[in-house]
Parts: sequence; structure tokens; C-alpha cells
Amino acid sequence: MSPPSKALAEFVAEATEILEALGKDLLVLDERRGHEADPDRVNGIFRAAHSLKGLAGLFGQERISRLAHGTEDLLDRLRLGKLHLNDAVLDTLIEALDAFQALLAETARGTETDGLTRRADGMAERLGRLGEVSVALDEDPLERLELDAQVRSVFTEYEEHRLRENVRKGVSMWRVRAAFDLSDFDMGLADLNTRLKPLGEVISTLPSAQPGGAHGIAFDLIFGTQVSMPELESGLKGTPAELARLAVRPATTRSAEALARATESPAIVLGTLGVASAPEASTGTSPPTKRGVRAAVEGGTHQPLLPLASERSDTEQGETGASAHGVPGLDSESDEEHAPSAKGPSLVTYLQGPGGRAPALAATPPGASQAGAGAASSSSASAEPSLRSLTQTVRVDIGKLDGLINMVGELLLIKASLQRLAESARQDGVVPLSKLFGQELARETRGLERKLEALQEGLLEARMVPVGQVFDKLARLVRRITREAGKEIDFVIGGGEVELDKLIVEELSDPLMHLIRNAIDHGVESPDTRLAAGKPRRAVVSLRAEQKGNHVVIQVSDDGAGIDELRVREVALTRGLITHAQAEEMGRRELLNLIFLPGFSTARSVSELSGRGVGLDVVKNNLGNLSGIIDVWSERGKGTAFHLTLPVTLAIIRALVVGVSARTYAVPLNSVLEILSVQPREIRTMERREVLDVRGQTLPFVRLARLFGLPERPVSRYFVVVVGLAQERLGIAVDELHGQQDIVTKPLGGRLQSVRGISGATDLGNRRPVLVLDVAALLEEGLALERRRA
Amino acid sequence: MSRFAELLDDFFFRPDEDVSGLQDFAAGSDGVASAAPEEVPEEYLSFRLEGEAYAVPIRAVREISKVPPLTEIPRAEPHLLGVMNLRGELLPAYDIKVRLGLAERAPLVAGPDAPVPPRDARILVLRTETGPAGVWVDTVSGVVKLKPSMLEPPPPGLRRGDKDCVVGIGRRGPSLYILLDPEQALAP
Repeated sequence: MSPPSKALAEFVAEATEILEALGKDLLVLDERRGHEADPDRVNGIFRAAHSLKGLAGLFGQERISRLAHGTEDLLDRLRLGKLHLNDAVLDTLIEALDAFQALLAETARGTETDGLTRRADGMAERLGRLGEVSVALDEDPLERLELDAQVRSVFTEYEEHRLRENVRKGVSMWRVRAAFDLSDFDMGLADLNTRLKPLGEVISTLPSAQPGGAHGIAFDLIFGTQVSMPELESGLKGTPAELARLAVRPATTRSAEALARATESPAIVLGTLGVASAPEASTGTSPPTKRGVRAAVEGGTHQPLLPLASERSDTEQGETGASAHGVPGLDSESDEEHAPSAKGPSLVTYLQGPGGRAPALAATPPGASQAGAGAASSSSASAEPSLRSLTQTVRVDIGKLDGLINMVGELLLIKASLQRLAESARQDGVVPLSKLFGQELARETRGLERKLEALQEGLLEARMVPVGQVFDKLARLVRRITREAGKEIDFVIGGGEVELDKLIVEELSDPLMHLIRNAIDHGVESPDTRLAAGKPRRAVVSLRAEQKGNHVVIQVSDDGAGIDELRVREVALTRGLITHAQAEEMGRRELLNLIFLPGFSTARSVSELSGRGVGLDVVKNNLGNLSGIIDVWSERGKGTAFHLTLPVTLAIIRALVVGVSARTYAVPLNSVLEILSVQPREIRTMERREVLDVRGQTLPFVRLARLFGLPERPVSRYFVVVVGLAQERLGIAVDELHGQQDIVTKPLGGRLQSVRGISGATDLGNRRPVLVLDVAALLEEGLALERRRA
Repeated sequence: MSRFAELLDDFFFRPDEDVSGLQDFAAGSDGVASAAPEEVPEEYLSFRLEGEAYAVPIRAVREISKVPPLTEIPRAEPHLLGVMNLRGELLPAYDIKVRLGLAERAPLVAGPDAPVPPRDARILVLRTETGPAGVWVDTVSGVVKLKPSMLEPPPPGLRRGDKDCVVGIGRRGPSLYILLDPEQALAP
């Protein structure tokens, strides 16, 4: 396994970014299933696939290139309306995204396995076969739009398609003509575009045939909108735009007329309702099947409904659902509009998982559906890929980098001054240094300190990335797990904008994935059980991040059955993790915390999802490595929440330097709550353990020297450093305080990983390593000590 | 090509080279050059612990460092002397004298009560499967080349304990070297 070359690393970095963007867009489409897809978004996904293809080709990554080609091809047909975006298509796209990620992971490792090559090629082939049925229309609605043949000829295929769609939906078409001065036409045009965007769709921007004056240039924007003329005019006030409505001829033949009516009427209904984009107006986007057209011709007042049924005929429920409605168009429209979750047939398909989607797949050739099922099972059988990024790259705003470079420049200036001072000191020789010299030196040192601080801050900032990066990846995963588990879940994400050090964000993905898997697999009940318990059918699993001072708290919660602490107790007893006597002493909270012990799992059956022998103890350890801690809250019948408390950064931290028995240790300041000065006589013992009474509250307390087995020295008073993470508090007694310092912690790593209570070492400037205390581990140890003694 | 360079390399004299063999050769008859296939010698780094000569394969040695200030790790295994900072890298330093039966307990070399390390003491930074590790030695003697024919299995009297880190004896002229397996010597 040779390390990938630099060029390859760049490829992986860039491809990862593209895939991330692609994944985000797909997720939006996925969330809005059953609604009409935003053409801009589909176009965006198409462009991403296209870039990926080009990039892969450039780096000779043929497998990725082939698959990207298939994806691009499918998306091209989608955006040109040759294919309707149904569940099967969307599922295949999401599967393709998984395949891309697996391929990229192999590329990053520099390996290539046959299994994956076959999977990718099979996927590319399936993409090509998807939805081959494409029905030609009786008449191109574009013909009905009164537009110069000359103008029409310059449209791209995509623009033509969007135009056709708009005409078919009965959206009124406008030509917006605007003349700008040559000097700033780009700004004027951009302004016009931003004003038009919210009102409708800019289909094409063409240079106008009309001259725009001596120093000007004029553009014709072909614009489709549902808003009225006065609204449009007021929206464009202040721009040089002139509006002209493009007339649409009525359809000519009888059948086409019926079709036009069938497809236009819902849009008109919605138009009068003031709804900008009607989900079911998309009826028209799917090329009506022969049956649909015939139905439209033969149908009476229910015309709008029938194409709807034909479109839905790819899902059986859709057909029955639509015909069961059997009500005039308006009712069914509004029904679909505001209550998609109530009984929307498409939603049922989404939720029932692979079984429920089988009819959807039946629309594609049987071979394809088999291949699909095969691929799905093989992908789920393979080990869950890690959500960690494949690259170590961080995107940095160039402005930030410029700032850093400037700081370096200023540091060089200070270096020059210091050099000059040193030079003059040397030349003066034995002459005692003047007071002025000292002042000057002190001033330069202060400047150096300030600049270094700024540089450090800037660098830390450049390392920060939003946690949303991981959340988005998890959202995709949740969708699949939910399907596999046969549960109905709303996944809620919050606080994705909270920033954390890139390193921490990366390390977080696996623990979070584990917790979410647990929530879906063990936490959330099946829909029927939920209904029986009087809860809403759909469970809510949420993932939220929140900044609290120097820490970020991430919460993974569900509204499921909660943790049964009695069952936890039973399991802990049978596994010999605790004794009966200990169990008697334990409160509910302590019992709940037993789930973090190694080798604990309450799941009665080992499921494919989370019962893999990797337990919460691993999650806890992973977090411990990040100086974070995990806490659990649970109430039976109400749900479970895990709180992860993490430092914002690990790279450079401010630390309190303390002395114990003539040794020096550093305590990360972000977990220090306060420092107390305590006389030995103030230390009290409660049931043979030492505690402090702090403002009427009992504080567990350890002497660091005793804990570490160092020779204790008699002191007249202790300094007690009170550390806390989440709700846990512990006083750590030390002999001396040496002040605060910024430190870079190096992990003990390698051979020393098993050392307890030390997270790493740092250098305070005298080459002697100074150990950094692992506050989370000490807290746990101190409190466990207390429990054991109790 | 590289093999050729290796062969040539043997002809270069190094100040630290043991040339006693050469003198033996010069003293002997020059007419009876041995027809036996040439042996490729392997280089070992020899060092002393409590007066005894030890050697490890030089491939296993990453570098030799003077003893930097060491920091003891509380509650660590007894043969871990402490951690050291080597050009910004944090490395553990171990004692192997106890393992070899040369001392009752590891010397106090880290922490506030430790005396200044002896002038000749060095830390050998060894490559191990679990990352680099430092080993305290009293002095570094030099590099010795040992041909396979100079190696002997460890005498039974030298075997000590269940974790045996002595893999053999190297004999070169009058000198004997106890050959160590670094991985075993550092095993917890």
C-alpha cells in the first residue's frame, strides 16, 4: 500500500468535494420526494456529475469516469425531461453516489478490487437502462409559442426543454428586454437576474436584435412566471427592463387541445390560488403514456386527474390512491399540497422500504430490478464504510490566508528590529546596556507576542470547519438505515453551522454514526408499536450542535422507547460488570451510565445494524481521545438523548500549569471551572472518601500526588483545580500554580496509548516534556473511585 | 548494481572498523584464499550496559541521541523510564537492564530527583512495530560487522525469564557481543 501521489491526492480531494455537493443536492431531492424537482437543482447535479467525469478522465480513473458518464447521461435525460424523476431513479442515483464513494475510497488507498469494479459497471449499465420509455408528444407545445424562428434556433436543448415545460404548464412567457451601457452591463444584467429569480424562471438570456444605443448593449431574457403583470413590473422597478408578453397559440388538434387543457388546468387552478410552483403541475413533465393521452381525450371533467394517475402508475399505490380520490382536480391538488404526510401514496412507498418500493421497480425492466436488488443486498452486506473524509484537505478562504501572510510579514519586521538590537548590544560590548535599550527590547517583545497570538488565532480559524459537513453525510446514511430497519423516521438536523477543528469533525463521524444507528435500531420503536403507545407513527431522531463557550455540545436524541434501566441493571449483573451490592447503591443515572462499560449491549438479538460487538464503550473511548465526554439521558417511553461535549480545538489550547511534588503538569483551561485555595483541615471525609464543601455543595476531590503515586509533601494549603465537563465536577488538589500558557499538545501515541490520565505532552520551552492531564479520564476515574468506595 | 556497491563498500576503511581480521589475513599465507562462497556480513550497533557488550542489528536503530531531559509517566509500567522530546517528537524511553537481569530496578533518571545523566549515556531510538522507542544505554561502542559464521546460538546459561530477548552471541576476534532482539527487549 503505497501512499498516493500528490496528483492523486488532489484528485481525491476535489472529487470528494464534488461528491459532497452532489450528495447534498440529492438529499434535498430525496426530502422533497413527491414534489416537483427544482430544475436548477437537477441541472446542478448534472453539472457535478459532468465535472466528476472530466476530472476522473483527466486522472485516468476509468472506473469513476465510466460510472460518472452513466450518471451524467441519466441526469441529462432527466433535466431535458426525457425521463421523469421517480423513486426508482432517485434511489439509483443515491446508490450510484455510494458506489462513487466506495470507488474513491479505493482510489485513495491505491487499490482496485474486482468486486467493486463489477458493482460500478453494473451500476453504470443500470443507469443507462433506467426509464428508456420516452413517448413522443403529439405536438410540440413549443410550436404554440410565438417566437422568431431565428431566436428559437439559438436555444440549447436544455433551454428548449425548459421553455416547453413552461408553455405546457401554462406559465405565461415574457420577453424582458433591457439595454445597458457597455461599461457596466454585466452588473446590470446580474442585478436584473437576481430580481427575476424569485418571480419565476429565467430560461434564456440572448443578445437582443435591437441595438442598445451607441454605447450600449441590449438583451432579451426569456422569462416564465406565474405572477401578474403589475407584480412583475413593480419587481423590476428601477431597471431598464421592458416587458413584452409572448403569446401562446391555442393547441390545434382535438387531442392536443384536450392534452393542453388537461395539463394546463391544474396550473391555472393553482395560479389563481397563488401557489408559485404546484407539485402536481409536474403531471405534464412526465411524457404522458399512450393510456394517459387516451384518457385525457376521453375523459370529461376529471381530465386533470387522469394524467396524474398515469404518471403515478409506476407505483401501484399511486394509481389506487388517485382513482380513490375521484374528486375534482382542485380537491386532490390541495390535498396533495398541504398534507403530504397524511396519506400521500408516494410517502407510503418511501417509508415501507425495499418491499414497498418493489412495485416502483417493476416499472423498469425486470432484469434491472433484479440487478438493483442484488446490488442493494451486496452493498448492505458489505461493511459499513467509514464516513471519514478521504482527504486531509481543508478549504481556506483566500482572505484568511492573505491575513496570515500579512502577519508573517509583520513578524519579519519585528525580527529585523530584534536583530538590530542584538547587533548594537554586541558592538557596545562590555558597556552596560542602557535603560533605553531595555525599553526598546521590551517593546519589540510585546509586539512579537501580539503578532504571534494573532497568527496563532488565524491559523486555528483556518482549521475550523462546520460540523454540518459530517451531518450531511449522516443524513444520507440515516435514510438507508431507516429503510433497512423498517422504521418511519424524521431526521432533524440543527446547528450544522457550528464550527469545530477539522480534526475533531473527522473523528466525530464514526461515533455519531454509531449513536444514530443505535437510536434507529434500538431506540425507535416500529410504527405499529408507536401507534399502540399513543405516539405519532413517525419517530423523530435529531442531531443538533450547539456552541457553549469553549465547548461544542452535540446531541443525538430520539423520541423512542428510552432505555430500561432495570434491564440495564439485570444485564450488568448477569455479565458480572457490577455486584449486587453495587447495584443496590446505584441511582438511575449511574445505572444508565453502565451502558458505556465494555462488553455491554441490551439488544436481545444481534441485528445487522448495530449489534456488531462494537459498543458504546468504543464511542466513549473515541470521544475520550478528543478530550470529550459523553452523557446519556433517557426516560422510559419518552426517548433517549446522548450529549457529546467536545472542545472547539485540539491544536493549540490554553492550559493552566500546575506543580505537584516538584513535577509540572498542564491542565487544559477549557475544562477548568475555578480554582480554590484549601487548607488541609477543610478537607472532609465522607464514608472514607475525601470531599470538599464548596458553597454548600459536596465536591468530589482527589489529590493528584496520591492518585499518581508521587511522594506527597506536606503543604500548608492546597490549590484545588475544579474541573468539569457536562454535569460532572471534580476537584484536583495540586501544590502550586505556575500560571497560564498556550500549549500544543502532542499525543503520547504509539506505545504509550494505555497510559491513564494523561492525554499527551507539551513543551514549555525548556525541552523537558510536560504532561497534559486528560481531564475527561481523570473525572471518570475520580468519580469511579468514589463509586467504588461508596 | 546495488549488490556491486555493497561488495565494494566492504573495501572502504572506516575509523570505527574492526580491522583485526585484516591483520590476521595479512599474517597468514596469501596463497590459500578460501574458496568458500563469500558471506555477506551484517552490521550491528554495539553498546554497553553495566560493562557488558550488547549489539542490535543496525537496521533497527533509527538514531542515537544524547540523554535529553526525561519526564516520568505516572502509573506507567516499571521499565518505562519516561518520555523525551526529540526535535519535537515525543518518544518513550525504556530501561532494559532489569529485563536482562543486570539491575534490580530501573535507574532513576527522570523526574525532579534524578541526577544528571552520565556523560557517555545515550538513548538509542529503535524502530519497533508499535512505533519508535528509546532505550537507555551506558555507552555506544560502535558498529561491528558480523558474518553469519560469527554468530552462535545463545548459551543456555544466558537464557533468563520467559521473555527471551537474547537471540545469540556474536564473536569477532577476541570480542563477544550479546545480540538482542529489540522487539522482545521492549515487550511489556
